[in-house]
Amino acid sequence: MKTSMSEQEKQEEVLTPETKTANQPVTRENTHDLVIDVDNVSFGYVPGKDVLRDITMNINRGEVTAFIGPSGCGKSTLLRCFNRMNDLIPTAGISKGEIRILGTDIHAPEVDVIELRKHVGMVFQKYNPFPKSIYENVAFGLRIQGINGKQALDQAVEESLRYAGLWEEVKDRLNASGLGLSGGQQQRLCIARAIAVRPKIVLMDEPCSALDPISTAIIEELITKLRSEFTIVIVTHNMQQAARVSDRTAFFYLGNLIEMDRTTTMFSNPSKKQTEDYISGRFG
Amino acid sequence: MSETPTSADSFSGRDAFKRRGFRILGIGLQDVIRYFFGGNASLAIVLIILICFFLGREGIMFFPAHHEGLGSYRQAGQEFVDYMGEEIDAHTKFYSAANIAYFAEVNESSAIEDAQIATARAVLANVETITRKSWNLLERKIEEEVGLAKKVAGLAEGSPEIPEVQQMLETRRSEIEKLRVTLRAEVEAALESPDAWSTGGSDRGVGLTNIEKIREAVLFEAFPKAKEEHPFLLELKAASKTKKADTAARLIAFKTTLTEIQSAVKPLRTLHGELRKHATENRAVINSFKSAPQRRAALLAGAENVDDPAEKAKLQAEADEVVITEPDLVAMNAPLYAAVSKYAEVSLPLKAEMERLLQALPSTVSTESARENLDRSRSAYGSFKGVQKANRDRIPSWRHDLPVSWIKSFSAFLFGKQWITNSSWHDFYGLLPLLTGSLMISVIALIVAVPFSIAAAIYVNQLAPRREQEIVKPAIEFIGAIPSVVLGFFGILVLGEMLREVSQVEWLSWVPGFPMAERLTILNAGLLLAFMAVPTIFTLTEDALENVPSAFAENSFAMGASRLQTVFRVVLPTAASGLIAAVLLGFGRIIGETMVVLLVAGNKIKIPDFSEGFGVVTQPTHTMTGIIAQELGEVDGGSLHWRALFIVGMVLFVIALLVNYAAQQALKRFQKV
Repeated sequence: MKTSMSEQEKQEEVLTPETKTANQPVTRENTHDLVIDVDNVSFGYVPGKDVLRDITMNINRGEVTAFIGPSGCGKSTLLRCFNRMNDLIPTAGISKGEIRILGTDIHAPEVDVIELRKHVGMVFQKYNPFPKSIYENVAFGLRIQGINGKQALDQAVEESLRYAGLWEEVKDRLNASGLGLSGGQQQRLCIARAIAVRPKIVLMDEPCSALDPISTAIIEELITKLRSEFTIVIVTHNMQQAARVSDRTAFFYLGNLIEMDRTTTMFSNPSKKQTEDYISGRFG
Repeated sequence: MSETPTSADSFSGRDAFKRRGFRILGIGLQDVIRYFFGGNASLAIVLIILICFFLGREGIMFFPAHHEGLGSYRQAGQEFVDYMGEEIDAHTKFYSAANIAYFAEVNESSAIEDAQIATARAVLANVETITRKSWNLLERKIEEEVGLAKKVAGLAEGSPEIPEVQQMLETRRSEIEKLRVTLRAEVEAALESPDAWSTGGSDRGVGLTNIEKIREAVLFEAFPKAKEEHPFLLELKAASKTKKADTAARLIAFKTTLTEIQSAVKPLRTLHGELRKHATENRAVINSFKSAPQRRAALLAGAENVDDPAEKAKLQAEADEVVITEPDLVAMNAPLYAAVSKYAEVSLPLKAEMERLLQALPSTVSTESARENLDRSRSAYGSFKGVQKANRDRIPSWRHDLPVSWIKSFSAFLFGKQWITNSSWHDFYGLLPLLTGSLMISVIALIVAVPFSIAAAIYVNQLAPRREQEIVKPAIEFIGAIPSVVLGFFGILVLGEMLREVSQVEWLSWVPGFPMAERLTILNAGLLLAFMAVPTIFTLTEDALENVPSAFAENSFAMGASRLQTVFRVVLPTAASGLIAAVLLGFGRIIGETMVVLLVAGNKIKIPDFSEGFGVVTQPTHTMTGIIAQELGEVDGGSLHWRALFIVGMVLFVIALLVNYAAQQALKRFQKV
């Protein structure tokens, strides 16, 4: 992992030469660097109808941040703003504010969304490996970046699969179809695929909601393990999961960010009434 | 629950769970509805079974009948005669290629003169077209003048009409003079325009060498007075003639060789002609014998149905007259067996003579065309030699009474190179010319249609904005609604003409097969069928792409793939078997198409000449579907020809079946994804 760390740092420097110093004062917790900086953002799928309103938050390096809230509160929408997946919907767009990732406004004209997504990986709710072999699934992200050397691919595939805890299970059938795996394995394959390109940030949109409890436990363990290397943002409906895996939690309600704090604080001593009601299961 | 329910229970399962609604013979409304829908669904299967049954029943009887036909062909000695015929045909091919080479050489010697004359003629024709109005007027006036002059001559001396007519004649003459001036000016103007000088042909380069002279000649002849030609053209003609004569004199040895080649085969030709006549008679006897029982039965049946006793007796007598005695095949074929030794006598000298004459052909010629044709004739000589060699074996060993093997009978249909019907000699039912025609047209259609439709489908489904999608998709799908006869019409009048014109453009002459002589060709039919297959392939491909879960694309985008990378690395591979199915079904659509090929393919029943390479597509052909549509209406039901068409239909049916099966297998794989 040492080599990849240094590589990561190198890439970061290319991407954001002046970030750290410029944004240092804004950082709330000085032990961590700021990775995602959401500054007073409003967003709508249709112009004039904002589904997210005036969101301001920071997401720190090396932390797991959980987004919780009832259905339709905008947590997934915000997540998809981070890698601009919402661009796929023609009318959708940010109506106000700025999202900075590693110090750069991701909506700036000089930002190439394709490059952005290479650094902000994503794991979806419904696992869906491509109908290719396990090997090709993991290698996909590298191949589209033009990396085709066998050795480099072999190494990256093994590393990623090991990271995702899948290597031992699939090492003998790397050329079998990814669709032949069980649900939990497929989701871990998707995680391996997402981290194979060494993104800075991994976004997870309810990664366990389609899985059984045992697979969920394995994935949660995996998330805890990934924390050392990636900044993770996870959307979840499962409050216990948020409590188990995250360092910090943000609670959304009806398109507003109600509260964001350390997870331990949030679950033991929420500062807002709404948060307390939601966490204690009184609504949602 | 062990208690039995008492009558006091207000709720009885027996009443509550009872079936309701009407029931007849235990069948309720639900069942009736179910059977109704089931019946509709199974109708298709029933129809397919019926089609298979009837096609099979009519078609399969082809083979015994065909087998018997081949038997008669052998018994009558026609097979024997055709062996010699093949030899003569091979010889003719050899001779005609050499002959073309000779004339190419002779004509080439005066090419410049001929080209100039042709140019002058073309320009004159162009000028006439441009100045048509004045030209016609002038001609009319001249006619009137001649008429008036005759009238004057015919009138009696001192007739009162004379001055009047004389006056009219004068007027005409002055009008004509004026018109001549006008026309001359017009002609001169026309000569300036480039339109006048477009000869449309390939003689442009050489033909336009002596442009001033040609102009002069055209001006001379365009001025309609004299019937004679301009001295320049006369000179050219004379020069051309002399040059041709000179070359012919120089090539006298070539010409002699040609004459000798032609006369060398004469004895064989005579022998073949005699035997052919004989075999034709044999065949008539055999056919008559074979159909005798049927004819007799028909007469007897007729006699039974007639009431008039006299008529009855007459028919009865006719029936008795029908000869059912078996013809004496040995005696009938005796002349053929006798001819074996005659053939040997003829064949050996022919062989020696031809070998000598082949050497006598000139080894060097000056023109490209002559060289090509000489090469062609040499290779034709090779096949002539092959036939000769074969004949030396098979002619002496031929027996009229050897049974025809079933394998031969089948292969004569499946691999037969000739489809000849309504012949006074023998009908050949060989599938190959039709099958190659159908397949070649299909291959061209697929080569053109597949890239177009798949690219269009990718664009519409993956790349186009919604507005464009809404326009392009229905437009392409509409193509499928165009009646094929309309397309055929378009193919004859527009596409065929256009292709031919394009093929005559000079800088395209490197394209194999260009310039095209025909309008109705494999290429033309293939292009039209490609157009017809586009909606099928497009729609199915588009469906296949549409059915790729959007999550795949979403995942790919989230990995940082561009749109094109997503299309080519994720969406297309996922839809691959759907694409294969689309292409296969497109092929099924093409091979079964009838109207367009019937109208546009040229309907020439002949295996295309592949020696031209890709140029083969500029030849006309016939197809399996076309032949059925064309001939089925004209043949007698139950005849061998009729059954042959059914069996062609069965071949088509089997091809369609296989293609569909393959497509379904591909789709099944696609759905597993």
